[in-house]
Amino acid sequence: MEMFFYGFMQRAFQASFLISLIAPILGLFLVLRRQSLMADTLSHVSLAGVALGLLIGINPTWTNILVVIIIAILLEFLRQIYRTYSEISIAILMSVGMAVALVLMEIGAGRTTLSVTQFLFGSIVTINKEQIWMLLGLTIIIGLLYLIYQKPMYVLTFDEETAFTVGLPIKMMSILFNVLTGVTIAVIMPIVGALLVSAIIILPAAISLRLSKSFYGVILNGMVIALVGMLSGLVASYELGTPPGASITIILMLIFAVITLAKYMLHYLKFDRLFNKSQG
Amino acid sequence: MSKIRGLIRGAAKTTLLRNILGLLKPSKGSVQLSSKNRMGEKLVVGYVSQQVASFNAGFPSTVLELVQSGRFQRGKWFKRLDKEDKEHVRRSLESVGMWEMRHKKIGELSGGQKQRISIARVFSTDPDLFILDEPTIGMDVHSRNEFYKLLKHNSTEHDKGILMVTHDHEEIRHYANKHIELIRKEDSPWRCFSMDSCKELSKLHF
Repeated sequence: MEMFFYGFMQRAFQASFLISLIAPILGLFLVLRRQSLMADTLSHVSLAGVALGLLIGINPTWTNILVVIIIAILLEFLRQIYRTYSEISIAILMSVGMAVALVLMEIGAGRTTLSVTQFLFGSIVTINKEQIWMLLGLTIIIGLLYLIYQKPMYVLTFDEETAFTVGLPIKMMSILFNVLTGVTIAVIMPIVGALLVSAIIILPAAISLRLSKSFYGVILNGMVIALVGMLSGLVASYELGTPPGASITIILMLIFAVITLAKYMLHYLKFDRLFNKSQG
Repeated sequence: MSKIRGLIRGAAKTTLLRNILGLLKPSKGSVQLSSKNRMGEKLVVGYVSQQVASFNAGFPSTVLELVQSGRFQRGKWFKRLDKEDKEHVRRSLESVGMWEMRHKKIGELSGGQKQRISIARVFSTDPDLFILDEPTIGMDVHSRNEFYKLLKHNSTEHDKGILMVTHDHEEIRHYANKHIELIRKEDSPWRCFSMDSCKELSKLHF
Protein backbone atom coordinates (compact mmCIF):
# COMPACT_ATOMS: atom_id res chain seq x y z
CA MET A 1 0.00 0.00 0.00
CA GLU A 2 2.25 2.76 -1.25
CA MET A 3 -0.33 5.48 -0.56
CA PHE A 4 0.35 5.34 3.18
CA PHE A 5 3.93 6.51 2.55
CA TYR A 6 2.82 9.86 1.22
CA GLY A 7 2.57 12.63 3.79
CA PHE A 8 -0.51 14.11 2.14
CA MET A 9 -2.34 10.78 2.26
CA GLN A 10 -1.45 10.30 5.92
CA ARG A 11 -2.90 13.70 6.70
CA ALA A 12 -5.98 12.92 4.64
CA PHE A 13 -6.53 9.74 6.66
CA GLN A 14 -6.02 11.60 9.94
CA ALA A 15 -8.53 14.25 8.90
CA SER A 16 -11.06 11.63 7.77
CA PHE A 17 -10.73 9.83 11.07
CA LEU A 18 -11.40 13.00 13.06
CA ILE A 19 -14.31 14.09 10.85
CA SER A 20 -15.85 10.63 11.27
CA LEU A 21 -15.97 11.18 15.01
CA ILE A 22 -17.59 14.63 14.83
CA ALA A 23 -19.97 14.26 11.92
CA PRO A 24 -22.45 11.73 13.38
CA ILE A 25 -22.85 13.68 16.65
CA LEU A 26 -23.69 16.94 14.91
CA GLY A 27 -25.55 15.14 12.16
CA LEU A 28 -27.93 13.34 14.49
CA PHE A 29 -28.91 16.53 16.31
CA LEU A 30 -29.29 18.40 13.01
CA VAL A 31 -31.54 15.69 11.58
CA LEU A 32 -33.69 15.44 14.70
CA ARG A 33 -34.03 19.20 15.00
CA ARG A 34 -35.10 19.27 11.34
CA GLN A 35 -32.11 21.36 10.43
CA SER A 36 -30.43 18.97 7.98
CA LEU A 37 -30.25 21.76 5.45
CA MET A 38 -28.63 24.14 7.91
CA ALA A 39 -25.29 22.46 7.28
CA ASP A 40 -25.73 23.21 3.59
CA THR A 41 -26.61 26.84 4.27
CA LEU A 42 -23.67 27.34 6.55
CA SER A 43 -21.30 25.82 4.03
CA HIS A 44 -22.50 28.28 1.39
CA VAL A 45 -22.16 31.16 3.83
CA SER A 46 -18.76 29.76 4.62
CA LEU A 47 -17.69 30.47 1.06
CA ALA A 48 -18.43 34.14 1.67
CA GLY A 49 -16.32 33.98 4.82
CA VAL A 50 -13.40 32.55 2.89
CA ALA A 51 -13.79 35.12 0.12
CA LEU A 52 -13.80 37.91 2.69
CA GLY A 53 -10.59 36.64 4.24
CA LEU A 54 -8.89 36.38 0.86
CA LEU A 55 -10.05 39.88 -0.05
CA ILE A 56 -8.75 41.63 3.05
CA GLY A 57 -5.70 39.42 3.29
CA ILE A 58 -6.37 37.66 6.59
CA ASN A 59 -6.15 33.89 7.02
CA PRO A 60 -9.51 32.86 5.51
CA THR A 61 -10.11 30.26 8.23
CA TRP A 62 -10.55 32.97 10.86
CA THR A 63 -12.79 35.29 8.85
CA ASN A 64 -14.74 32.22 7.89
CA ILE A 65 -15.29 31.13 11.49
CA LEU A 66 -16.36 34.65 12.41
CA VAL A 67 -18.83 35.01 9.53
CA VAL A 68 -20.31 31.56 10.12
CA ILE A 69 -20.79 32.23 13.84
CA ILE A 70 -22.71 35.44 13.08
CA ILE A 71 -24.91 33.66 10.54
CA ALA A 72 -25.49 30.70 12.86
CA ILE A 73 -26.87 33.09 15.49
CA LEU A 74 -28.95 34.89 12.88
CA LEU A 75 -30.36 31.55 11.73
CA GLU A 76 -31.77 30.84 15.16
CA PHE A 77 -33.60 34.18 15.19
CA LEU A 78 -34.98 33.62 11.72
CA ARG A 79 -36.07 30.16 12.82
CA GLN A 80 -38.06 31.76 15.65
CA ILE A 81 -39.65 34.34 13.35
CA TYR A 82 -40.76 31.83 10.72
CA ARG A 83 -41.64 29.13 13.21
CA THR A 84 -43.94 27.21 10.89
CA TYR A 85 -41.80 27.61 7.79
CA SER A 86 -38.33 27.26 9.21
CA GLU A 87 -36.92 26.35 5.77
CA ILE A 88 -37.36 29.99 4.73
CA SER A 89 -34.40 31.08 6.80
CA ILE A 90 -32.32 28.40 5.14
CA ALA A 91 -33.37 29.38 1.63
CA ILE A 92 -32.68 33.07 2.27
CA LEU A 93 -29.28 32.64 3.83
CA MET A 94 -28.08 30.00 1.38
CA SER A 95 -28.65 32.19 -1.66
CA VAL A 96 -27.41 35.36 0.03
CA GLY A 97 -24.27 33.58 1.24
CA MET A 98 -23.49 32.32 -2.24
CA ALA A 99 -24.20 35.71 -3.81
CA VAL A 100 -21.94 37.55 -1.38
CA ALA A 101 -19.20 34.97 -1.94
CA LEU A 102 -19.35 35.43 -5.70
CA VAL A 103 -19.30 39.22 -5.47
CA LEU A 104 -16.39 39.25 -3.03
CA MET A 105 -14.42 36.83 -5.17
CA GLU A 106 -14.98 38.92 -8.27
CA ILE A 107 -13.75 42.02 -6.45
CA GLY A 108 -10.73 40.16 -5.15
CA ALA A 109 -9.97 38.45 -8.45
CA GLY A 110 -6.37 38.88 -9.46
CA ARG A 111 -5.20 39.54 -5.93
CA THR A 112 -5.07 35.91 -4.96
CA THR A 113 -4.11 32.64 -6.52
CA LEU A 114 -6.72 30.66 -4.58
CA SER A 115 -9.79 29.88 -6.65
CA VAL A 116 -13.45 29.32 -5.86
CA THR A 117 -13.34 25.80 -7.20
CA GLN A 118 -10.84 24.81 -4.55
CA PHE A 119 -13.35 25.67 -1.85
CA LEU A 120 -16.38 24.47 -3.76
CA PHE A 121 -15.01 20.99 -4.19
CA GLY A 122 -12.49 20.85 -1.40
CA SER A 123 -9.18 19.08 -1.46
CA ILE A 124 -8.70 16.61 1.32
CA VAL A 125 -5.32 15.69 -0.17
CA THR A 126 -3.92 19.21 0.14
CA ILE A 127 -4.57 19.84 3.81
CA ASN A 128 -1.72 21.02 5.98
CA LYS A 129 -0.58 20.25 9.53
CA GLU A 130 -2.29 23.35 10.93
CA GLN A 131 -5.68 22.16 9.69
CA ILE A 132 -5.16 18.76 11.28
CA TRP A 133 -4.38 20.36 14.63
CA MET A 134 -7.43 22.56 14.34
CA LEU A 135 -9.57 19.57 13.53
CA LEU A 136 -8.10 17.66 16.48
CA GLY A 137 -8.88 20.55 18.82
CA LEU A 138 -12.41 20.77 17.49
CA THR A 139 -12.94 17.02 17.88
CA ILE A 140 -11.85 17.19 21.51
CA ILE A 141 -14.11 20.18 22.19
CA ILE A 142 -17.14 18.57 20.56
CA GLY A 143 -16.46 15.23 22.26
CA LEU A 144 -16.24 16.88 25.68
CA LEU A 145 -19.31 19.08 25.14
CA TYR A 146 -21.24 16.04 24.00
CA LEU A 147 -20.23 13.99 27.04
CA ILE A 148 -21.13 16.84 29.40
CA TYR A 149 -24.36 18.00 27.77
CA GLN A 150 -25.78 14.79 26.32
CA LYS A 151 -28.73 14.71 28.71
CA PRO A 152 -29.90 18.31 28.20
CA MET A 153 -29.43 17.86 24.44
CA TYR A 154 -31.46 14.65 24.49
CA VAL A 155 -34.39 16.45 26.11
CA LEU A 156 -34.02 19.49 23.83
CA THR A 157 -34.11 17.36 20.68
CA PHE A 158 -36.96 15.23 22.00
CA ASP A 159 -39.29 18.18 22.44
CA GLU A 160 -38.45 21.86 22.82
CA GLU A 161 -41.54 22.62 24.88
CA THR A 162 -40.77 19.84 27.31
CA ALA A 163 -37.23 21.19 27.52
CA PHE A 164 -38.59 24.66 28.29
CA THR A 165 -40.92 23.46 31.02
CA VAL A 166 -38.15 21.57 32.78
CA GLY A 167 -36.22 24.81 32.88
CA LEU A 168 -33.54 24.35 30.22
CA PRO A 169 -32.26 27.55 28.55
CA ILE A 170 -33.48 26.39 25.16
CA LYS A 171 -32.70 29.55 23.22
CA MET A 172 -29.14 29.68 24.49
CA MET A 173 -28.65 25.97 23.82
CA SER A 174 -29.97 26.27 20.27
CA ILE A 175 -27.72 29.22 19.51
CA LEU A 176 -24.63 27.55 20.95
CA PHE A 177 -25.39 24.40 19.03
CA ASN A 178 -25.72 26.40 15.80
CA VAL A 179 -22.46 28.18 16.54
CA LEU A 180 -20.66 24.90 17.13
CA THR A 181 -22.07 23.50 13.90
CA GLY A 182 -20.94 26.66 12.15
CA VAL A 183 -17.39 26.46 13.46
CA THR A 184 -17.19 22.79 12.49
CA ILE A 185 -18.37 23.53 8.99
CA ALA A 186 -15.93 26.42 8.67
CA VAL A 187 -13.09 24.04 9.57
CA ILE A 188 -14.27 21.08 7.49
CA MET A 189 -15.38 23.07 4.42
CA PRO A 190 -11.93 23.66 2.87
CA ILE A 191 -11.18 19.96 3.36
CA VAL A 192 -14.23 18.27 1.85
CA GLY A 193 -15.67 21.16 -0.12
CA ALA A 194 -18.70 23.40 0.32
CA LEU A 195 -20.88 21.24 -1.87
CA LEU A 196 -20.33 18.08 0.15
CA VAL A 197 -20.02 19.29 3.73
CA SER A 198 -23.64 18.62 4.52
CA ALA A 199 -23.60 15.19 2.87
CA ILE A 200 -20.70 14.12 5.04
CA ILE A 201 -22.31 15.46 8.21
CA ILE A 202 -25.86 14.27 7.56
CA LEU A 203 -25.49 10.93 5.75
CA PRO A 204 -23.82 8.84 8.50
CA ALA A 205 -26.44 9.93 11.03
CA ALA A 206 -29.25 9.35 8.54
CA ILE A 207 -28.03 5.82 7.76
CA SER A 208 -27.48 5.03 11.42
CA LEU A 209 -31.02 6.17 12.27
CA ARG A 210 -32.29 3.16 10.38
CA LEU A 211 -30.06 0.77 12.28
CA SER A 212 -30.21 1.52 15.98
CA LYS A 213 -33.09 1.93 18.31
CA SER A 214 -31.31 3.79 21.06
CA PHE A 215 -30.03 7.35 20.99
CA TYR A 216 -26.45 6.48 21.88
CA GLY A 217 -26.50 3.52 19.51
CA VAL A 218 -27.23 5.87 16.62
CA ILE A 219 -24.21 8.00 17.40
CA LEU A 220 -21.84 5.04 17.84
CA ASN A 221 -23.05 3.28 14.69
CA GLY A 222 -22.88 6.60 12.88
CA MET A 223 -19.19 6.90 13.74
CA VAL A 224 -18.47 3.42 12.37
CA ILE A 225 -20.42 4.18 9.19
CA ALA A 226 -18.68 7.52 8.73
CA LEU A 227 -15.30 5.89 9.25
CA VAL A 228 -15.96 3.12 6.74
CA GLY A 229 -17.40 5.58 4.22
CA MET A 230 -14.64 8.17 4.54
CA LEU A 231 -11.69 5.79 4.55
CA SER A 232 -12.93 3.67 1.66
CA GLY A 233 -13.89 6.83 -0.22
CA LEU A 234 -10.39 8.13 0.24
CA VAL A 235 -8.84 4.89 -1.00
CA ALA A 236 -11.19 4.83 -3.98
CA SER A 237 -10.31 8.42 -4.74
CA TYR A 238 -6.59 7.62 -4.65
CA GLU A 239 -6.90 4.50 -6.77
CA LEU A 240 -9.34 5.86 -9.34
CA GLY A 241 -8.28 9.50 -9.32
CA THR A 242 -11.80 10.70 -8.49
CA PRO A 243 -12.51 13.78 -6.32
CA PRO A 244 -12.32 12.73 -2.63
CA GLY A 245 -15.42 14.49 -1.29
CA ALA A 246 -17.59 13.17 -4.09
CA SER A 247 -16.20 9.64 -3.76
CA ILE A 248 -16.93 9.64 -0.03
CA THR A 249 -20.47 10.87 -0.60
CA ILE A 250 -21.17 8.23 -3.23
CA ILE A 251 -19.83 5.45 -1.01
CA LEU A 252 -21.98 6.66 1.90
CA MET A 253 -24.95 6.67 -0.46
CA LEU A 254 -24.13 3.08 -1.48
CA ILE A 255 -23.96 2.06 2.19
CA PHE A 256 -27.37 3.64 2.67
CA ALA A 257 -28.79 1.71 -0.29
CA VAL A 258 -27.28 -1.61 0.82
CA ILE A 259 -28.52 -1.22 4.40
CA THR A 260 -32.01 -0.24 3.31
CA LEU A 261 -32.16 -3.20 0.96
CA ALA A 262 -30.75 -5.60 3.56
CA LYS A 263 -33.26 -4.43 6.14
CA TYR A 264 -36.08 -4.90 3.70
CA MET A 265 -34.89 -8.40 2.78
CA LEU A 266 -34.47 -9.41 6.42
CA HIS A 267 -37.92 -8.19 7.21
CA TYR A 268 -39.31 -10.04 4.25
CA LEU A 269 -37.50 -13.30 5.10
CA LYS A 270 -38.57 -13.20 8.74
CA PHE A 271 -42.11 -12.55 7.72
CA ASP A 272 -41.90 -15.40 5.24
CA ARG A 273 -40.69 -17.85 7.89
CA LEU A 274 -43.45 -16.90 10.28
CA PHE A 275 -45.95 -17.32 7.55
CA ASN A 276 -44.70 -20.85 6.74
CA LYS A 277 -44.70 -21.83 10.39
CA SER A 278 -48.28 -20.82 10.88
CA GLN A 279 -49.25 -22.88 7.88
CA GLY A 280 -47.33 -26.01 8.79
CA MET B 1 -49.31 24.69 47.42
CA SER B 2 -52.90 23.86 47.88
CA LYS B 3 -54.21 20.56 46.78
CA ILE B 4 -56.25 21.44 43.73
CA ARG B 5 -57.26 18.90 41.23
CA GLY B 6 -58.49 20.94 38.38
CA LEU B 7 -60.25 19.95 35.27
CA ILE B 8 -60.61 22.44 32.52
CA ARG B 9 -63.03 22.20 29.69
CA GLY B 10 -64.39 24.58 27.13
CA ALA B 11 -62.52 26.77 24.72
CA ALA B 12 -58.87 27.86 24.75
CA LYS B 13 -57.87 25.26 27.34
CA THR B 14 -54.50 24.54 25.87
CA THR B 15 -53.78 28.24 25.60
CA LEU B 16 -54.50 28.63 29.28
CA LEU B 17 -52.14 25.79 30.18
CA ARG B 18 -49.44 27.15 27.94
CA ASN B 19 -49.75 30.53 29.60
CA ILE B 20 -49.43 28.93 33.01
CA LEU B 21 -46.30 27.11 31.89
CA GLY B 22 -44.78 30.23 30.40
CA LEU B 23 -44.75 28.81 26.88
CA LEU B 24 -46.97 31.72 25.91
CA LYS B 25 -46.92 35.23 27.29
CA PRO B 26 -50.35 36.60 28.19
CA SER B 27 -51.15 39.84 26.38
CA LYS B 28 -52.95 41.08 29.48
CA GLY B 29 -52.71 40.01 33.08
CA SER B 30 -50.13 37.79 34.66
CA VAL B 31 -49.56 34.23 35.71
CA GLN B 32 -48.25 33.36 39.10
CA LEU B 33 -46.89 29.98 39.92
CA SER B 34 -45.37 29.32 43.31
CA SER B 35 -41.64 28.84 42.98
CA LYS B 36 -41.45 26.62 46.06
CA ASN B 37 -43.37 23.50 47.00
CA ARG B 38 -44.84 22.79 50.44
CA MET B 39 -41.53 21.57 51.77
CA GLY B 40 -39.86 24.80 50.69
CA GLU B 41 -37.98 23.10 47.86
CA LYS B 42 -38.01 24.25 44.26
CA LEU B 43 -41.38 23.53 42.66
CA VAL B 44 -41.13 20.84 40.00
CA VAL B 45 -43.72 20.88 37.23
CA GLY B 46 -44.40 17.91 35.00
CA TYR B 47 -46.05 18.70 31.69
CA VAL B 48 -47.57 16.34 29.14
CA SER B 49 -48.55 18.31 26.07
CA GLN B 50 -51.37 17.41 23.76
CA GLN B 51 -49.10 16.65 20.83
CA VAL B 52 -46.35 14.96 22.76
CA ALA B 53 -47.51 11.55 21.61
CA SER B 54 -47.18 12.61 18.00
CA PHE B 55 -43.52 13.53 18.52
CA ASN B 56 -40.87 12.79 16.00
CA ALA B 57 -41.81 9.31 14.88
CA GLY B 58 -38.20 8.57 14.07
CA PHE B 59 -36.72 9.86 17.31
CA PRO B 60 -34.14 7.20 18.07
CA SER B 61 -34.73 6.24 21.65
CA THR B 62 -35.85 3.24 23.59
CA VAL B 63 -38.80 3.52 25.94
CA LEU B 64 -36.43 3.15 28.88
CA GLU B 65 -34.15 5.98 27.69
CA LEU B 66 -37.11 8.30 27.28
CA VAL B 67 -38.62 7.59 30.68
CA GLN B 68 -35.21 7.90 32.31
CA SER B 69 -34.93 11.38 30.83
CA GLY B 70 -37.72 12.37 33.22
CA ARG B 71 -35.21 11.97 36.05
CA PHE B 72 -32.68 14.39 34.54
CA GLN B 73 -34.39 17.47 35.94
CA ARG B 74 -34.08 15.98 39.42
CA GLY B 75 -30.50 17.17 39.62
CA LYS B 76 -29.24 14.53 37.23
CA TRP B 77 -28.31 16.67 34.23
CA PHE B 78 -24.65 16.00 34.82
CA LYS B 79 -24.76 12.97 37.09
CA ARG B 80 -25.34 9.30 36.61
CA LEU B 81 -28.76 7.95 37.52
CA ASP B 82 -28.59 6.02 40.78
CA LYS B 83 -30.61 3.16 42.22
CA GLU B 84 -33.36 5.45 43.43
CA ASP B 85 -33.75 6.96 39.96
CA LYS B 86 -33.91 3.54 38.36
CA GLU B 87 -36.52 2.48 40.90
CA HIS B 88 -38.65 5.53 40.08
CA VAL B 89 -38.36 4.76 36.38
CA ARG B 90 -39.36 1.14 36.91
CA ARG B 91 -42.39 2.03 39.01
CA SER B 92 -43.48 4.72 36.54
CA LEU B 93 -43.33 2.28 33.66
CA GLU B 94 -45.13 -0.38 35.66
CA SER B 95 -47.87 2.04 36.67
CA VAL B 96 -48.78 2.58 33.02
CA GLY B 97 -48.23 -1.07 32.15
CA MET B 98 -45.27 -0.46 29.85
CA TRP B 99 -42.39 -2.08 31.78
CA GLU B 100 -42.35 -5.10 29.46
CA MET B 101 -41.97 -2.79 26.47
CA ARG B 102 -39.01 -0.90 27.88
CA HIS B 103 -36.52 -2.01 25.22
CA LYS B 104 -38.79 -1.12 22.31
CA LYS B 105 -38.02 1.83 20.08
CA ILE B 106 -40.50 4.60 20.81
CA GLY B 107 -41.28 5.07 17.11
CA GLU B 108 -42.65 1.51 16.93
CA LEU B 109 -45.30 2.09 19.58
CA SER B 110 -48.96 2.77 18.90
CA GLY B 111 -50.45 6.18 19.63
CA GLY B 112 -51.94 5.05 22.93
CA GLN B 113 -48.66 3.47 24.02
CA LYS B 114 -46.76 6.65 23.17
CA GLN B 115 -49.22 8.56 25.30
CA ARG B 116 -48.63 6.16 28.18
CA ILE B 117 -44.83 6.41 28.04
CA SER B 118 -45.08 10.21 27.91
CA ILE B 119 -47.11 10.00 31.10
CA ALA B 120 -44.63 7.53 32.60
CA ARG B 121 -41.88 10.01 31.80
CA VAL B 122 -43.65 12.68 33.84
CA PHE B 123 -44.37 10.22 36.67
CA SER B 124 -40.69 9.33 36.82
CA THR B 125 -39.89 13.00 37.40
CA ASP B 126 -42.12 12.87 40.48
CA PRO B 127 -43.26 16.50 40.10
CA ASP B 128 -45.18 18.57 42.66
CA LEU B 129 -47.59 19.76 40.01
CA PHE B 130 -48.80 17.76 37.04
CA ILE B 131 -50.03 19.78 34.08
CA LEU B 132 -51.72 17.41 31.67
CA ASP B 133 -53.24 18.40 28.36
CA GLU B 134 -55.77 15.78 27.29
CA PRO B 135 -53.66 12.91 28.57
CA THR B 136 -56.28 10.23 28.01
CA ILE B 137 -56.73 10.65 24.28
CA GLY B 138 -56.41 7.24 22.68
CA MET B 139 -57.02 5.32 25.91
CA ASP B 140 -59.92 2.92 26.34
CA VAL B 141 -62.41 3.20 29.21
CA HIS B 142 -60.53 0.70 31.35
CA SER B 143 -57.12 2.38 31.04
CA ARG B 144 -58.73 5.78 31.55
CA ASN B 145 -60.20 4.67 34.86
CA GLU B 146 -56.89 3.11 35.91
CA PHE B 147 -55.18 6.36 35.00
CA TYR B 148 -57.60 8.47 37.03
CA LYS B 149 -57.13 6.18 40.01
CA LEU B 150 -53.40 6.63 39.67
CA LEU B 151 -53.80 10.41 39.61
CA LYS B 152 -56.13 10.31 42.58
CA HIS B 153 -53.59 8.22 44.47
CA ASN B 154 -50.86 10.75 43.64
CA SER B 155 -53.02 13.59 44.82
CA THR B 156 -54.34 12.08 48.06
CA GLU B 157 -51.37 9.99 49.14
CA HIS B 158 -48.51 12.08 47.84
CA ASP B 159 -50.09 15.55 47.91
CA LYS B 160 -49.46 16.24 44.25
CA GLY B 161 -51.30 19.01 42.47
CA ILE B 162 -52.92 18.09 39.21
CA LEU B 163 -54.23 20.41 36.54
CA MET B 164 -55.75 18.61 33.62
CA VAL B 165 -57.54 19.41 30.41
CA THR B 166 -59.99 16.73 29.43
CA HIS B 167 -63.16 15.93 27.59
CA ASP B 168 -64.30 13.04 29.78
CA HIS B 169 -66.04 15.29 32.29
CA GLU B 170 -68.58 12.63 33.22
CA GLU B 171 -66.01 9.96 34.01
CA ILE B 172 -63.80 12.22 36.03
CA ARG B 173 -66.56 13.76 38.10
CA HIS B 174 -65.86 11.34 40.97
CA TYR B 175 -62.16 12.09 40.98
CA ALA B 176 -61.70 15.82 40.56
CA ASN B 177 -62.12 18.41 43.29
CA LYS B 178 -62.71 21.28 41.03
CA HIS B 179 -63.85 21.95 37.51
CA ILE B 180 -63.00 24.98 35.49
CA GLU B 181 -65.01 25.79 32.44
CA LEU B 182 -63.96 28.39 29.93
CA ILE B 183 -66.79 29.89 27.95
CA ARG B 184 -66.83 32.48 25.28
CA LYS B 185 -69.72 33.69 23.23
CA GLU B 186 -68.94 35.62 20.11
CA ASP B 187 -68.25 39.30 20.75
CA SER B 188 -68.11 38.87 24.49
CA PRO B 189 -65.13 38.66 26.79
CA TRP B 190 -63.92 35.42 28.32
CA ARG B 191 -65.80 34.16 31.29
CA CYS B 192 -64.59 31.56 33.63
CA PHE B 193 -66.78 29.20 35.55
CA SER B 194 -65.83 27.09 38.44
CA MET B 195 -68.14 24.17 38.92
CA ASP B 196 -67.27 22.65 42.22
CA SER B 197 -67.90 19.00 42.47
CA CYS B 198 -66.84 18.82 46.08
CA LYS B 199 -68.23 20.37 49.22
CA GLU B 200 -65.69 23.04 49.90
CA LEU B 201 -66.22 26.28 48.07
CA SER B 202 -63.24 27.64 46.32
CA LYS B 203 -62.40 30.72 44.39
CA LEU B 204 -60.49 30.80 41.17
CA HIS B 205 -57.16 32.48 41.06
CA PHE B 206 -56.46 32.71 37.38
